Amino acid sequence: MADAAAKPAFPRAVAALFARELRVELRTKSLLTSMGLFALLCVVIVGLGVRGLSNDETFQRFVLAMLWVCTMFAAVVGLNRAASADRRNGFFQALLILPHDAGLVFFVRLVSTLVFLLLTQAIMIVVAVPLLKLDFFDQPLMLLVIPLADLGVLAPGVLLSSATSRVRGGEALLTIALLPVAVPVFAGATGATERLQGGSGADGAMAYVLLLVVCGAMFTALGLLLYGRLNEG
Amino acid sequence: MPTASKPFPSWMVTLALAALGLIGAEVVFYLSYNYVPTQISEGTLWVVTPDHGAPINLYESYRIFFVHLPSAYATALCCGICLVGGVMWLLSKKPKWEALTVASAEVGLMTGAIVLLTGTLWADYAWGSGRIGSGWNWEPRLTTMLILWLAFAALLVLRKAMDQPRQRSALTAVYGILLGPLYPLVSKAIEIGQTSHPKNFSDLLTAPEIAITKNIASLGLTIAFMGLVALRYQMGRLGQQIEQERAA
Repeated sequence: MADAAAKPAFPRAVAALFARELRVELRTKSLLTSMGLFALLCVVIVGLGVRGLSNDETFQRFVLAMLWVCTMFAAVVGLNRAASADRRNGFFQALLILPHDAGLVFFVRLVSTLVFLLLTQAIMIVVAVPLLKLDFFDQPLMLLVIPLADLGVLAPGVLLSSATSRVRGGEALLTIALLPVAVPVFAGATGATERLQGGSGADGAMAYVLLLVVCGAMFTALGLLLYGRLNEG
Repeated sequence: MPTASKPFPSWMVTLALAALGLIGAEVVFYLSYNYVPTQISEGTLWVVTPDHGAPINLYESYRIFFVHLPSAYATALCCGICLVGGVMWLLSKKPKWEALTVASAEVGLMTGAIVLLTGTLWADYAWGSGRIGSGWNWEPRLTTMLILWLAFAALLVLRKAMDQPRQRSALTAVYGILLGPLYPLVSKAIEIGQTSHPKNFSDLLTAPEIAITKNIASLGLTIAFMGLVALRYQMGRLGQQIEQERAA
């Protein structure tokens, strides 16, 4: 009973943890800087690679798929930075005395990383649209596809990065571990983008959006269930 | 005997699976070359090219299916065992479930490689130009199978990298669970954008001798691969016992 009385309410705990994530980022500016800079570099490299190509349908499909590749690797960069900072600061030891289920920490980390990745993508799109001559703003459904795909990549990423950050060379390990699991999400994201940009409309993209919803929901549920078990030892 | 507490049941299962698997494999290879027809008649063993052009004759190439198909079944089983092993470890924390997850990932890696290799070799002939690699066209079934194979490899690499046994076990279990949903994706991939990979074995090959051999091969070689899982599991358990005794 005493434990229950001492336990802060769930919304307060979420707010406190989320505020902590934002405060850490505002102080260090580590995640946005690394993810944003990485994404911008990727856009420049893609631009160099495709310079001189005619801006036809194949070009648009290729460049959009490349932007999804950049997003996935930017997510890996951000996840690695966040998890290794947590490891250095004794975050996972503190997790052991958390009065709530560790799934709460997973949820907050997922939401905060999602916010930072969306910000990174916004920067990337603003730069990529004029530089790579993309037609991007005519499909409102993309506003659903982007966060769903991000969720599908970040949910297993947050889960796995908490384990890979424990070992030397964990950054490379996260890439190896995450990419096979996140491939269905990548397939859904590129498929939906291709259909929407190719003029198939919402009906043509709906199967891919559904795949993204299923992957996002499944990986988030697995993360909520498994995060505490993975970090209890 | 290596396991002093419970030597009888698990070793008996392993030996039975290994013996049945060996016999099954021998029977399959005998039937593949001596029972199924060599002479191919039109209408039973023809395959349509990817662009739905003129059908080509499979000739002797279809015999590779008797290895390809059971390997795919075994890969699916290994994926399922990884999922079950992961869930059971998290629920019970018993080392035997970790050994089972690792054994199935190792055998899944091997059977997945067999599926990819035999499939690619056949595809080079069936819808490629005959050159090595010409049949690989990135359609969903092929790509998702490659992804599953990479995921098995990732699990084993991740394990090797973890220093602390407890964390290694937890990560193995969690990754085993994450692997689980990949096989349904491989299975469902046949319905999305499929142009080359046959949707159904029986659509392609209808001769009764071939159907019988396919059924025996599916059973015999899958048992052989499960025998390998059992053997690797026993080796893993022995390794765990040695680690425990060293730590004590």
